[in-house]
Order: sequence, then structure tokens, then C-alpha cells
Amino acid sequence: MAVEQERSLEGWDPGVVDGPELAFVIERAFDYRGDVTLVRRDGREIVGYLFNRDVDVPEPFVQLFPRDGGETVRISYTDIASIRFTGRDTAAGNSYAAWLRSREALKASKPASGA
Amino acid sequence: MSVPASQMWTVATYVLKQKLRGRRRYPLVLMLEPLFRCNLACAGCGKIQYPAHVLKKHLTVEQCLAAVEECGAPMVSIPGGEPLMYPDIGRLVTELVARRKYVYLCTNAILLAEKLEAGVFQPSKYLSFSVHMDGLKPEHDEAVCREGVFDQAVEGIREALRRGFRVTTNTTLFDGASPMRMQIFFDEMMDLGVEGMMLSPGYSYSKAPDQEHFLRRQKTNELFSKMLGNAKRRWKFNQSPLFLQFLMGKHDFECTPWGNPTYNMFGWQRPCYLLQEGYAATFRELMETTRWEHYGHKSGNEQCKDCMVHCGYEPTAVNYTFSSWKGLKATVAATVTGKL
Repeated sequence: MAVEQERSLEGWDPGVVDGPELAFVIERAFDYRGDVTLVRRDGREIVGYLFNRDVDVPEPFVQLFPRDGGETVRISYTDIASIRFTGRDTAAGNSYAAWLRSREALKASKPASGA
Repeated sequence: MSVPASQMWTVATYVLKQKLRGRRRYPLVLMLEPLFRCNLACAGCGKIQYPAHVLKKHLTVEQCLAAVEECGAPMVSIPGGEPLMYPDIGRLVTELVARRKYVYLCTNAILLAEKLEAGVFQPSKYLSFSVHMDGLKPEHDEAVCREGVFDQAVEGIREALRRGFRVTTNTTLFDGASPMRMQIFFDEMMDLGVEGMMLSPGYSYSKAPDQEHFLRRQKTNELFSKMLGNAKRRWKFNQSPLFLQFLMGKHDFECTPWGNPTYNMFGWQRPCYLLQEGYAATFRELMETTRWEHYGHKSGNEQCKDCMVHCGYEPTAVNYTFSSWKGLKATVAATVTGKL
């Protein structure tokens, strides 16, 4: 299956980035279905799910749902030093194939009908 | 076709009003996702892969109603996640019905009998349970990755019908679907007594685990032509006949991505129910700042190339009905004769 061959970004730490590299990392984080740790320029960190970003505005920004609850947080691109992909990638793996495998295993473990 | 006359009238007058006002882009159905949590993990679904703290969240009823008012569409579809897991689903539906919105509550029906027994809902012409049924028992249970769900859904449908609710089914078709078995499925649903059925080809969500079984355009045309070419009069479809004809290859429609705008806890989803390219804070912002020309079959966007899904093309079909005598004539002919 194609998904099995896809590499997850889980655990990726691109380090301190800026300019186009930062934009690239933010795009990956926006596409990522796990929590990230966003490091601000002043060193403060926030862990959460990055659900939105907008570059078509005068001051581009990202939005996160913090992992520990509370309101959504909006952070300007200019305040971001780095983003680490620290949470589990919930879209990774292969649940369909896993389900097929478990189904086959279940069928194999059942005695044949009428036996 | 099985859409009730009052609903048809509401939609027709709404669309004509938009045209008279000169609105080029208008919403037809609001896709309202109060939560992403679900009690199934279907192989073709890309809607539920989120961290646990996101899955635990949901919109408030007030947020939902504000979105409904802001959007103004005459119909509200409540998918998800599984809407019957939304703690305030009864109050939300009551409020929407009070606002005379036609509500399609899209459910896998696992919890339907239980909720009906608990008196969460009251029958109304404005409320229809749209039960997810992807075919006969083996096909459905395989699609939802759990055995026994088909039987639970049938039990829920029976209970809802017994209590006087409107019930429709919604079916997503994947590659490998058998036209003959689908025809048997249509008979079975009609025997159950559902008001009508809704069909759509699947969409290849980039986050869905199963990427191999989605239909491509030509295959979609072939499948739907075989399946509906000699449609029985007793098969009732709760959707535009022109959309079904489009799936059969009889019309060359372009996508209307703003036709079924989506609102969830992230905001107004750009550009459509299927693609997640960002979120707008308001409906107006969504409509005014989304680069609509980047989407649709003819845009050259790879993500839109093979898509023929209802949320983009059914609004086109409805718009076509009210844009030309030809469209109106084709819709009336299919509605009256049942021929697609």
C-alpha cells in the first residue's frame, strides 16, 4: 500500500529556520496530523495542534489548539524560530491494511462452519 | 426522485432569489461538523485523524447556530465525526428545525435506536436521518472496517421509520463496486422503506488509509451507467437527477466548491468539504478571499482532477436546473419519468 511507504514526519526537528525554510516547515506542520512543539523567537514553547496558517495577509500567522486546553493561539511567522514534530502522527501507519490483516487473522482463527 | 415538494419549493425559491440578486456564488448546503470524534474508523475516511485533545473538542450549539445564520443556506448537513456522539445534538437539531432549515443528520446509525428511545429527536419534515450505507452487508461492513454495523444500521433505520422520521441513506462508492450488487442494495433499501438514497463516488483523502480503492472519472461513468442505466421506478434518489446523470457521463459539469461550505472547530474550511487548505474566520472571508479559480476539474489542480463528489457537483447540477430551460426540462423529465 502506498501509505505504508509514506514517511511520517513524526520526530522531525528541523532546527532554527527562517524565510522560505520556515514557510516550508510551517506547511509541513499544517499538513501534519499530530501535535507539534512551536518554539518562539524568545525561547518560549507551545505544544499543540497547528490547524491553520495564512500567508495571504499582511502579517502571516499560524493558529494552534494548545494540547493542555484553552483558547486557540495565533502566532505570527516572525515570532517563530522552529517547529518540532513531537506528537504522534495520527494519519501515519496503515489502519486499512491493519484491519485487513486482523480480519484475515480472525477468519483463520475461527473453526470452519459445520466443523 | 424523492425530495419532498416542500423541500424542493424551498430550494427552488432560494436559488431563484440568489439569481435575482445577481449572486454568482451562493451556498446550497452547509456542511456543519460539530465534532471530529467517531465510533468508527472507516478505511476511506480522512476526517478523524487528529490528536486526542482535538477529538475531545466540539463546537457549542451557539457556535453552530451562528455559522448557520452567517451562511444562510436552506439546508444543513451534519456529518462529522459521528453527530450522534455530539452531546447537544438534540438541542442543535431542535434549533435548526425551529429555523426551518432542512437538516440531514449523517450518521452511521450505531447509536440511532438508543437516541430515539431516549427521545432526543422529534419527527419533522425538516429532519432526515441520512444513514451511511455503503452497500449490502459484506460491502458495508468491509467499508466501515467493523462487522455487524450493517445490521445495527438497519435496526436504526427500522426504528426511525417506525417512529415516523424521514430516513434516507448515503452511499459512497469505491473502485470494485459491483453494479449488480448495488442494484440489489437499492431494492433492499427500498424494501426497508427509506424515503430515498444518496449516492456519490468516494474521494481520495490524502489522510485516509485506503488510497487504492477510489474511483477515477471514466470508471465512475462506467459504474454509474451500468448501475443506473435501467433504473427501476421504485428506486428513489434523494438528490438531483442531473447529478446522477453527470456521474453516468451525460453532463460535463464543473465543480462548485462554494456550494457546500464546511464549518467546524477550525473555522470555515477552504476551499471545500474535502480539501483542507486553510480556514477562514468568517463565511464572508471564505467567500471573498478563497482563490476559487484554483479548484475544479478544469483548473488543472491535481487534487481536483478525478473528483466527482456530490459536495462539489450536486450544487452545479442544481444551479444548472435553474439556469436554463434545458436544465429545467431535463430535471423535470427525470423527476417525472424516473429515467436517468
